[in-house]
Amino acid sequence: MGDTKISPHSLAELKNTTDDALGNYLRGLKFEQDNTRLDVRLAIGYASVVIAAATFAADYKLGWEATKTWTAVAVVAYALLNGAFTYWMWAVEKGCVFTGVREGNKISVASKTKKHDPTYYLTISSANSGSKQITAPFTTWFTADGYFVAKPFQQWLASSVEAIGNADSKNALRDQRDEIASPSPEVELTPQGNGTADASGTDGKAKGSKRSKRKG
Amino acid sequence: MFSALGNLQPRQLAAQILNFALVLSTAFMLWKGLSVFTNSSSPIVVVLSGSMEPAFQRGDLLFLWNRGQETQVGEIVVYNVRGKDIPIVHRVIRRFGGGSAPLQLLTKGDNNAADDTELYARGQSYLDRSKDVIGSVVGYVPFVGYVTILLSEYPWLKTAMLGFMALTVVLQRE
Repeated sequence: MGDTKISPHSLAELKNTTDDALGNYLRGLKFEQDNTRLDVRLAIGYASVVIAAATFAADYKLGWEATKTWTAVAVVAYALLNGAFTYWMWAVEKGCVFTGVREGNKISVASKTKKHDPTYYLTISSANSGSKQITAPFTTWFTADGYFVAKPFQQWLASSVEAIGNADSKNALRDQRDEIASPSPEVELTPQGNGTADASGTDGKAKGSKRSKRKG
Repeated sequence: MFSALGNLQPRQLAAQILNFALVLSTAFMLWKGLSVFTNSSSPIVVVLSGSMEPAFQRGDLLFLWNRGQETQVGEIVVYNVRGKDIPIVHRVIRRFGGGSAPLQLLTKGDNNAADDTELYARGQSYLDRSKDVIGSVVGYVPFVGYVTILLSEYPWLKTAMLGFMALTVVLQRE
């Protein structure tokens, strides 16, 4: 994740940077991204561009009179394809920023922002656990001068969404997860040791004050 | 600014380029659509000279209609001199033929002393309505076309404008 600075006042930049980070994070967690919706959009879009380019070439080479009928056909075809393109973007994509599969669980993530409201609205549909909407202010993972900080973003995602938390247990803070969903077998509290619960078995000391609150 | 592009996945980069390509192709197809609708190869032209003053000034934008084949004396038509690609906007002062015979027209600029016989190609004394005329003027907007004159007189302006547009659309992700 590069240290690119964006304008913290631009809602569009906040959303786009967060959307990109979400995609990168999930791909890093080995979610296999399903590119069908984007591929269909690109296919429709480039098909119409090709038609326009062909019309331009024909007109350039052969002049107006010779190409009149073809141009009429091409204009109609272009209008239809463009209509399909707009429909696809509006109806099917509907703010979807990521669709992917991991360990048989298919998830679909759509993001949204409301005008003049610096909050990130995320709707996650998971094959295993249905649909869910989570929100958080952008200030959770953006500094005041516009730098994106990955850690709090990943923690928010892993703690709020079971599918992501299962994939990335390092970021899924125990307390928050238990609030949202009761523990699944692989993350049961281990009876021995210092009482810190850690699903992956790696050292949990680095997590900080929240973990130490849990007594054995 | 450009680093934002570097962080994109290849598909997303393709999507951004598509946005720019769509802007260009939609503009072009709208123009062609208007051409088909008016049956004219160039449905909107810019007045380049002052030969039709005071009716039209240099830089006026004219809207053409080419589906009326029975052009009358007094109509203002736009035609291309055979062999040249410069549109001329002048008024019809005489007509010959029409009906079943091919319609032939003689034109003259309002602000010119003589008729257009000297402007036509060598050996040509009249305009052929179906072959030479691009359309008759049905409406106009004053002065707006001056940008086109500037663009053709300073061709680097065209490249600069296109480059600027490309930059804005590809880098913007709203």
